[in-house]
Amino acid sequence: MQQHQRITLYILFLITGAAWIILSADDTAMSASSGNTAPQAGFSAPDFTLKTPQGETYTLSELRGHAILVNLWATWCPPCRAEMPAIEKIYQEFKEQGLVVLAINMTYQDDPFAVVPFINEYGLTFPILLDETGDVASAYQLRSLPSSYFINRAGIIQDVVIGGPMSEALLRTRIERILQ
Amino acid sequence: MLILFRNLFSPPRHMILLVIAVWVGLTLAEKRAERNNISRDDLNNITFYGLIAFIIGGRVSFVLQNIPAFLKTPLDVISINTSIFDPVGAMAAAIITGLVYGQRRKLLAWPTLDSLTPFFAITVIGVGLSHLAAGTAFGKETDLAWGIKLWNAMRHPTQIYEILASLLTFILLWFKKHDPRSGILFLTFAALTTGSQLFIQAFRGDSLLIFNGLRQSQIFAWAVLIIIFILLELRLKEKPA
Repeated sequence: MQQHQRITLYILFLITGAAWIILSADDTAMSASSGNTAPQAGFSAPDFTLKTPQGETYTLSELRGHAILVNLWATWCPPCRAEMPAIEKIYQEFKEQGLVVLAINMTYQDDPFAVVPFINEYGLTFPILLDETGDVASAYQLRSLPSSYFINRAGIIQDVVIGGPMSEALLRTRIERILQ
Repeated sequence: MLILFRNLFSPPRHMILLVIAVWVGLTLAEKRAERNNISRDDLNNITFYGLIAFIIGGRVSFVLQNIPAFLKTPLDVISINTSIFDPVGAMAAAIITGLVYGQRRKLLAWPTLDSLTPFFAITVIGVGLSHLAAGTAFGKETDLAWGIKLWNAMRHPTQIYEILASLLTFILLWFKKHDPRSGILFLTFAALTTGSQLFIQAFRGDSLLIFNGLRQSQIFAWAVLIIIFILLELRLKEKPA
């Protein structure tokens, strides 16, 4: 191919590319994920209502305006156990700034009688909720434990961390983002 | 099938796909290395050092960007969680390491990049597969027949578009007649990959939008394409060695 033919081809490609960028612009000027609910960064967090072992009820949507860490865990899961002290420490560090931690035990696949001794053993002060039916696991499309969802004050999931254990520093970086 | 795949390689197992892609890519790159006058040892070493720099650089870059968070618990720098990672810093570290190694070994840039092209091409396929497994880089909603159910909606299977485009790119390059001018293979790969990204990004549902809905990633790809075309033209003007 001659040089002038190649240059014509490059220019043609670039003009087509520029036209494609303009034609494919999102005229709603909104992210496609906004307004939808899904367990993925950029989406509204799926809502749930669950109880603690003491019978207190928590509804996620009622906590709008807070920065929320939703942590899905089980007592038999070693990385879940390993990251609990870090979560407790971070909760103590940031709760005054509006951080809420909801640690949801996957009770439907866990020993329900092991939950309260677990809370006492680790001295956890944030709410531990029980997912007895697996509805929350299903809504959050749970595939691995632990799974953590960092939800900002507008109720949008800002970060997802699948797997663990999370260190204090990692938690700090994620929490500081959702507190902004 | 898709559900089975996503369950099998759900995060953090999606990383396995990347590791497999790196291994296959390197094996294929080795097969063609001597064609570009690069020894297998040099190719293996540059990839090995590059990957080590990628892993360490990604971690260091993340830590440097979040120093206050790590000051209270400095040992967390060596935490096993893969979320402590900055991909941009990782890429920069890998490129710098590759340049330093290449300079020390007096490797020529274009033949080295040509040798590494099968590795890059297969790695891009691996990235697409890992996106599919993790459900990231997802498409916008669609009612087209080939839409996939993801994040509670029928969506453009942008990850599959990405895999198909990169697979096609690899096939085209693998069976392309060898060009004695160095750099052409790599720049063709770069042009095809950037061009396909420019096209596919239009169907993404997680794009960063600027200037009345224009996608930042498309504008970036378009600018990169200009640079690639200029470099391609300069290389084509060169006489074969």
